[in-house]
Amino acid sequence: MKKFWALLLTAAMMVCVLAGCGGKDSESDNAQGGSAGTENQGGGSGAGDSGEDATPELDMSKTVKIGILVSDATSAEALAFRTYYTEYIQKQYNVELIYSDELADAAGEAAAIDTFITNNCKAVISFSSFDRAAQIEQCEGVGVYYAVATGTLTEDEYETYKGYEHYVGAIGPSLSVEFETGYNMAKHYLDQGVKNFAIFGGAIPYYTEMHIYRAAGMLTAMIDAGGDGANYQGATDMGGVLGQIFADGEVKTGAIGDVNVLGYVGGYDMDDAWFGKCAQMAQTADLEVILAVGNGSDFFGTAIAGTNVKIASVDAYASSYGEAMEAGMLDYLAGKFSASIGPIFIATYRAALGSPIRTADGNAFALSQGYWVASSAEEFNTYYAVDSSVDAPAYTKEMLDTLLTADYAAFESFVSKYSFEEIQGM
Amino acid sequence: MKNSKIKKYIMNLTPLLGLAVLFAAFLILGTVQDINISYGLKSILSQSVVVAVVATGAIFIYTLGSFDISLGASTAVSALIGGIVYNKTESLLVMTLVCIGVAVLVGLFNSVLASVFNLPVFVTTIAMLSVLNALVLVLIKVNGTGSQIAVPAAAVRSLNNTTFKMVVLLIFVLLCIFVFSFTKIGRMQKFLGGNPVCAKLSGISEKKMAIIAFVMSGIGVGLGAFLSIVYAPTLTRNTASSVGMDVIIAIVFGGMPVSGGARSKIYAAVIGAFSMTLLSQIMVMFNLNSGIGQMVKAAIFILVVFLATSGQRGKMLPR
Repeated sequence: MKKFWALLLTAAMMVCVLAGCGGKDSESDNAQGGSAGTENQGGGSGAGDSGEDATPELDMSKTVKIGILVSDATSAEALAFRTYYTEYIQKQYNVELIYSDELADAAGEAAAIDTFITNNCKAVISFSSFDRAAQIEQCEGVGVYYAVATGTLTEDEYETYKGYEHYVGAIGPSLSVEFETGYNMAKHYLDQGVKNFAIFGGAIPYYTEMHIYRAAGMLTAMIDAGGDGANYQGATDMGGVLGQIFADGEVKTGAIGDVNVLGYVGGYDMDDAWFGKCAQMAQTADLEVILAVGNGSDFFGTAIAGTNVKIASVDAYASSYGEAMEAGMLDYLAGKFSASIGPIFIATYRAALGSPIRTADGNAFALSQGYWVASSAEEFNTYYAVDSSVDAPAYTKEMLDTLLTADYAAFESFVSKYSFEEIQGM
Repeated sequence: MKNSKIKKYIMNLTPLLGLAVLFAAFLILGTVQDINISYGLKSILSQSVVVAVVATGAIFIYTLGSFDISLGASTAVSALIGGIVYNKTESLLVMTLVCIGVAVLVGLFNSVLASVFNLPVFVTTIAMLSVLNALVLVLIKVNGTGSQIAVPAAAVRSLNNTTFKMVVLLIFVLLCIFVFSFTKIGRMQKFLGGNPVCAKLSGISEKKMAIIAFVMSGIGVGLGAFLSIVYAPTLTRNTASSVGMDVIIAIVFGGMPVSGGARSKIYAAVIGAFSMTLLSQIMVMFNLNSGIGQMVKAAIFILVVFLATSGQRGKMLPR
């Protein structure tokens, strides 16, 4: 009898869960169907009036499935991106976005793309970079469009794959933008007369290029401000600093002219010893500013409480950073805005509908996009109000619809105007 | 009496029936949703094969009533060293042999360590897990770019097809079935797993059986490492990171009793590995996010294990 009840309960649980999921899908389908219906009534475009005129040649009546590869499903940045796609884009366009699980390696990426192909996804937008070359090859092999969101290919990779028919392109901070981001962050404080820094190196020990370039930018700014003879381990320019970090796999502490790097912590070990090192670095005597190549306030915020140490981070616009700024645990944020992934969606969507955007040479595009920088709580709140909105985000449907028929030049121009003020002025 | 036999027979078949039900569900849902079923089946086979091969070898360890928590890390280390060797020699054969050799050595080290210190094998594999994870980082830092070791994709592309992978799996499964079911090694291992006291009194060497089990498991891990390279030739610190847990789930999902012993079956690993991947594909068809998907999978997992073991609980021999 016990077995019977146990079985019955498990079966009931399964039926409820699956039925619930089915219901959700149905609602989603209905919503999309409704949207499609509106499109048909409105002339075959998206659910807005503007679409009728903007996209006469694109048949958007059928739901397009797009797979989204993610290697991070929990960070503030990842959640903000996901919210923009699922809560805004998916409701505005006739698309079904299928997310992968949180991927941990290249095999996971390959398996996820296989799953997308099985489910008839017409395109893949990738936020995962364990093996971009393999992803592109896999998609090209089966005729599925592929785009890189919030990142770029290396120069060699771009040269190899730019002519692939199904490679759409990439939009994200280029490595030179990452360098500038670190440079400007350090310069912001150097201009205020700050001399004593510590650096949080994030994924530098794992040789993550964007973190290395940001750190190199910080160190180069210190060299430029450090006076005559200032150098980092003998390096005096960007190339030399980059080479030194790549050789060491870390940032060395010490004097750079009359500027000092008093402490350094790298990696994301997240164990007691690592958090101990973080706390120790934050308590270093004479320390004025912690420059983080990624999220700094979460790891050092508590440790600097009651001190005058400031923290500068690179990440995304999330409520937790606003709270950290209000509480004095974060002083400067170079953050990605969630709607920055709007243009790459449009490019991918267009490709799936048969109208890919190509450069004048007929190649896939590689466009750079930078960060919004907030150095006060007021500035942060202004940006965050726009960034977190699912009704009127930074890139609204009306704005994105202009890209549905744009040529490459217009598309490039749109993407290049990424500052808050430029977007608000559109 | 007859009913009892029929019930036992059906219970034994539960994992296989579970696989059949999942397969039918995949076909029906796939047809309804108009998915690419033929590509899906190929990808299911392709995605399952590494776990299936490693789990098949691991059955020998589980039969002894023990288990190895370091299989995923061992797969990663074998693959990384295999990758390094390929980049030096450009020989796939040498790479394959190195993958198997490294994995067998790791297994032997585990079992010998357990013998020397007279510890349960499980304990030594916990220590080995830490050592291997550290070794992964060292190997990548010293021999790779710092973040990865990459075997040229072109070198393994011709092997990255379903037929080749299935042939490798089939050969290894047949080898394991032969050793397990047609030699006295298999019988002794089942005896040892079912009743270690009685087995020892009968003259069966626990240490010798543990060494054989780890060698067989090592061959599976080595082949799994090789197939991992074939599937994704860019190896990082997270390569095969999920294999260890997937192997445990696959073995239990396939109907293998965790206590080992006479009811152990080689095919449980294959059934479990394919069932898991089918289940994941079905979850995607429902467009479940990973959180809900994991919960559904967990519920189905409990249901299958409950059914598969319902006729066996309370019948375990004293250990």
